[in-house]
Amino acid sequence: MPTLELNGHSYQVDEDGFLEDPSIWNEEVAKDFATTEGVSELTEEHWKMINYLRNYYLQFGIAPMIRKLCKETGFPLNKVYELFPSGPAKGACKLAGLPKPTGCV
Amino acid sequence: MADHTSGSNEKAKAVVEAFPKKLNRQALLSFASCVHCGMCNDSCHYYLATGDPKMTPAYKADQVRKLFKYHVDWLGRLAPAWVGGKTFTDDAQLEELKDVVFGTCTMCRRCTISCPFGVDHALMMRMTRGMLSAQGVAPEGVKVVSNDQWQTGNQMGVSQEDYLETLAWLQDELRNEVGDPKAEIPIDKAGVNIVFVVNPREIKYAPMSLLAAAKIFYAAGEDWTMPSVGWDNTNFGLFSGDDKLGAHMGNLAYDQAIKLGVKKMVVSECGHGFRATKWEAPNWAGRDLPFPIESFLETMVEYVNTGRIMLDPSANRKPVTYHDPCNLGRSAGITEEPRFLLKRACMDYREMTPNRQENYCCTGGGGAMSMSEYSSRRLQVAKVKADQIKATGAACVATACHNCVDGLTDLIKHYKINIPVKNVCEYVADALVLRRAAHVTEEMPAELRGRSVLVIDDDPDVVTYLTTLLQDHGLKTFTARNAAEGIKVARRERPDMITLDISMPGRSGIEVFTWLRSEPEMTGIPVCIVTGAIDFRQLMYHRNVPPPDGYIEKPVKADLLLMTVRRILEIKLHKASPVGVS
Repeated sequence: MPTLELNGHSYQVDEDGFLEDPSIWNEEVAKDFATTEGVSELTEEHWKMINYLRNYYLQFGIAPMIRKLCKETGFPLNKVYELFPSGPAKGACKLAGLPKPTGCV
Repeated sequence: MADHTSGSNEKAKAVVEAFPKKLNRQALLSFASCVHCGMCNDSCHYYLATGDPKMTPAYKADQVRKLFKYHVDWLGRLAPAWVGGKTFTDDAQLEELKDVVFGTCTMCRRCTISCPFGVDHALMMRMTRGMLSAQGVAPEGVKVVSNDQWQTGNQMGVSQEDYLETLAWLQDELRNEVGDPKAEIPIDKAGVNIVFVVNPREIKYAPMSLLAAAKIFYAAGEDWTMPSVGWDNTNFGLFSGDDKLGAHMGNLAYDQAIKLGVKKMVVSECGHGFRATKWEAPNWAGRDLPFPIESFLETMVEYVNTGRIMLDPSANRKPVTYHDPCNLGRSAGITEEPRFLLKRACMDYREMTPNRQENYCCTGGGGAMSMSEYSSRRLQVAKVKADQIKATGAACVATACHNCVDGLTDLIKHYKINIPVKNVCEYVADALVLRRAAHVTEEMPAELRGRSVLVIDDDPDVVTYLTTLLQDHGLKTFTARNAAEGIKVARRERPDMITLDISMPGRSGIEVFTWLRSEPEMTGIPVCIVTGAIDFRQLMYHRNVPPPDGYIEKPVKADLLLMTVRRILEIKLHKASPVGVS
């Protein structure tokens, strides 16, 4: 299992760089992982999305549909990609400590 | 093979028993005819990137071929060691085989085209994957996705409710975008021309391509529908080797299309989805279909050719290159349609080398994107692809496969190339000239009236047509019938813009263009190329001068010409931005 060193913290991640144990997530994790996903600074808008993803995952055990993400956060589609250049599935989910989404993504 | 044992052999026994039953004619040919000549070595990106002999296609195939030699080959049955025959006696051996067939081959079939005997390595890999999957020996990701397809009818476990809600939302987005409250994404509309099946990635995470498709259908005035069930065009049966799952996914889509009584099925830009839905699943399901199946790329080409959609390439000004998905280019013969579209939807199209059926895999094929355990190896061997992309000098990549989009995006990030990857239909949708917008251009704004356009073309009919059209809309025109005259008039009259033909007797339009771009007092004059030879445009982008401001194909459509001229003049007047800089 690879270990990822970020800002002096070390994380156990899967081969795609997703947190191996989603339960150890905290806000520090999101801040550290932001650097690997092209997010230079986590703004209030970033947190709104991260927190929504996090809560949805804790409740349902999977990542939400992009539709739900946009509806619940009130962000239009292109805003999601502005905030997380590597997209909702690979970028935002990684920061929120979700496991890698299944399927060909 | 195994240097450790698991202590059990039931699965190994089952695989050995299943093997002879799996052999069909193509498999027999592939197992029997390899002579280890090495022609396939350099075709495989795993070998090219690592130089490891264990990564050559023939070596990988030999890990299964040994079963053939041991159990089927006549000499091998007498003296197996003589021909390299070996059988499986321990389940641990299957785990090692799993790493070979799932972890070191994307079933891209590049090696097959370089084999003098036509040995189909992907076929052997798929067959082996099938035998292993049947024993539960498969990467976790493949199991999860296969299970989701069985349980929910789509590979991302999207519920019916979420699917329909997503389509309703995209319909709202479509209406906003085209400014027409009647634009729609129909669901289960019976008797329509087209049923459109998509990749669940478009529903769950990345709906831009579906929105683009809806916009294109809208612009073409198509009578189409999305199905409420059987909408997933992907098929993990192709990757796991499970023919039953392959048939199941095909049947879901086919049954709904028949129920709706559609005229044809159109598959969104997904490489394996198209191959599976059109070519493989009818065989797995053992049925003849009463409707044809085509790729959305083919549909879009038809729209352009019949004038149902109109494209303005100046909407996509950055250099773009096209990545041929293996399942479209090599396995389904779809290579020219995407190029036809990109050359008309983008200003600067650049070929990737090698290309078409010889293109390298995105490195995420064969379901590799769902197998995290092999991701670091996948990214390591992706160096071949990364170098190939870098060499194009393109600022963005187009491809016609969702899996390729993700595979390429991953390696582009890993190798820090930092350019976006989008589906072909997204470039096409961005370049769409919606009729309503085109009509607006019929009324030339007052501030543009009286502006001058120099028309350079050797064909007198074209000159008359263009000048009449421009004069009718309040513009002043100058004309020139060859390069030398064009340069003379441009220098004398200093027009507000120039339309320029490329092929002319004597000096070509390309020379005129290069001159215009390099003469200090001419660089402020925007140029719109008007040509019948769309492929010639490449010649212009290799000249290290700013690209043209517009690009129109002959025969010239009035709406498109007026809109382009108007846009170019408006930019010149208001923004005073440097010519050719996007």
